[in-house]
Amino acid sequence: MLLLRDLHKWYGDFHALRGVSFSASRGQVVGLLGPNGAGKTTSIRIITGVFPPTSGTVEVANTPVLTRPEEARRHIGYLPESAPLYPEMSVEGYLHYRARLFGFARGEARALIGRALEIGSLDAVRRKRISTLSKGFRQRVGLAAAALHRPGLLVLDEPANGLDPTQIKQMRETIRALASESCVLLSSHILGEVELTCDRVVIIASGTLLADGTPAELRARHAPESAVWVEVAEHEATAALIAIRSASGILGAESVKAENGFRLLRARTRPPAATGEDPLTAAARSLHDVGIVPRTFAPDAPSLERVFHSLLEASAVRTKDAAA
Amino acid sequence: MSTTTIIARRELSSYFRLPVGWFTIALFLFLCGCVFALAVLEPGRVASLRAFFGAAGWLLLPVVPAISMRLFSEEMRSGTIEPLITSPARESSIVLGKYLGAVMMLGLMLLPTLLYAWVLAKVSARPPEFGPLAAGYLSLFLPGVFYLAVGTLCSALTNNQTLAFLGSLFILLAIMLASALGPGIAPAWMQPALRWISFDARIQDFAKGVIDLRHVIFFFAASVLPLVLAGVALRARRLG
Repeated sequence: MLLLRDLHKWYGDFHALRGVSFSASRGQVVGLLGPNGAGKTTSIRIITGVFPPTSGTVEVANTPVLTRPEEARRHIGYLPESAPLYPEMSVEGYLHYRARLFGFARGEARALIGRALEIGSLDAVRRKRISTLSKGFRQRVGLAAAALHRPGLLVLDEPANGLDPTQIKQMRETIRALASESCVLLSSHILGEVELTCDRVVIIASGTLLADGTPAELRARHAPESAVWVEVAEHEATAALIAIRSASGILGAESVKAENGFRLLRARTRPPAATGEDPLTAAARSLHDVGIVPRTFAPDAPSLERVFHSLLEASAVRTKDAAA
Repeated sequence: MSTTTIIARRELSSYFRLPVGWFTIALFLFLCGCVFALAVLEPGRVASLRAFFGAAGWLLLPVVPAISMRLFSEEMRSGTIEPLITSPARESSIVLGKYLGAVMMLGLMLLPTLLYAWVLAKVSARPPEFGPLAAGYLSLFLPGVFYLAVGTLCSALTNNQTLAFLGSLFILLAIMLASALGPGIAPAWMQPALRWISFDARIQDFAKGVIDLRHVIFFFAASVLPLVLAGVALRARRLG
């Protein structure tokens, strides 16, 4: 559905995108991650046809965005950051305008608007002026308008920006529902949200693609260490530490804090190998062998945030080395 | 319905959903009403709206930029230009649609002034003639169409409405002054060209009640260049 090949973008002397390539298919929610100035918005604007790349190609539904822009745009639904809308229009009026702009006749437009109102749960405010709506509702109007014409590719730039936790959850559910018939490309700063919403993550920094894969793949590839939290009785802490350290796949263990007669331990583990015993099972078995029953035993998988920071740090080191 | 018409209709309706649209119309009609009451409705005068058309022509100079200033500037400021230019609409349709919306707004703004003709017909022994009346309205509408094209261009160049307003007002004043004073002060070799492009002479012809098709074509043709440039400005923005 979406194919980017070797995208470069120069703004004067500034090389904003340096050969970014990736693809995405229908049914996937792909998260586009990167720090400020990484090239996320530039990539999104090139994909949606706001402006062209300096070199490279973009195809949406096998249609080149550069050479057949009007046709390609029919397959794209775009929600820019902060959901710009016409405040003087009603919700229904705006959706009707968008449907007509995409070339739908009145009858078709009515059916699409009904579906879009459902997507955004906007039926209660359909006749209200956009200027009177809350931030959350405006964001939903923007999303409904982007998905109105049932695009093959839905591009959402920071869709959860400024929303409260309940609204973020609703937005996540809506995006997941939309992914059943579209490919969703989602740019966000909220890493936890990306982890919960996206099937795949593309990380870019300084205009370069750093990683591309499912959150689990990225964790395995770029955050080789996991951890497990173990809480044991205070008098068993030393024995527990020795037992855990002796288990296979355990890189180290240390005491973190004591509270109410219990001690919290943290053990760093290797990711489970294809063969051999799982480090968590090994640690649990070691404790069991010395007769210790932990109060809690909680695996702590590396978050996408840790992957993200580890990649950024590695990238910064590489940049520094190259400069030296 | 074409994309151009859809954009034009949205543009037109937005004027009536915002205070700025109503305020512009109210101000224009109030000033026109003053001119009508003070300069036209005089006992013993011939029933003619010529004085009104003359004054209203100058009133359009600040009013038209107020209509056109938000066409693109506001879209660029608020970011609504992005959903618009990422729709399947072509740049030419966007520019033309917005421009036509503003032209319709100008037409609707002039429409209530027909009341003056009706009042004049009621209070005069001899009602005003239709020919000079139609020519008079063309003397307002046709330059207005050109002013709006200039305003559209200025609005496409900046995301600041005030700058767009001042830019188009300055350009229009310069054109009007050059058009009115140029033929008198320019060297002899420039006179024919200046006379040909003179707005003033054409407006005067309309004011006299002469409807010359060449003048009509001139104003529409003169509007094309600023609109093409507005399209170029929009494309240039897109090219970053």
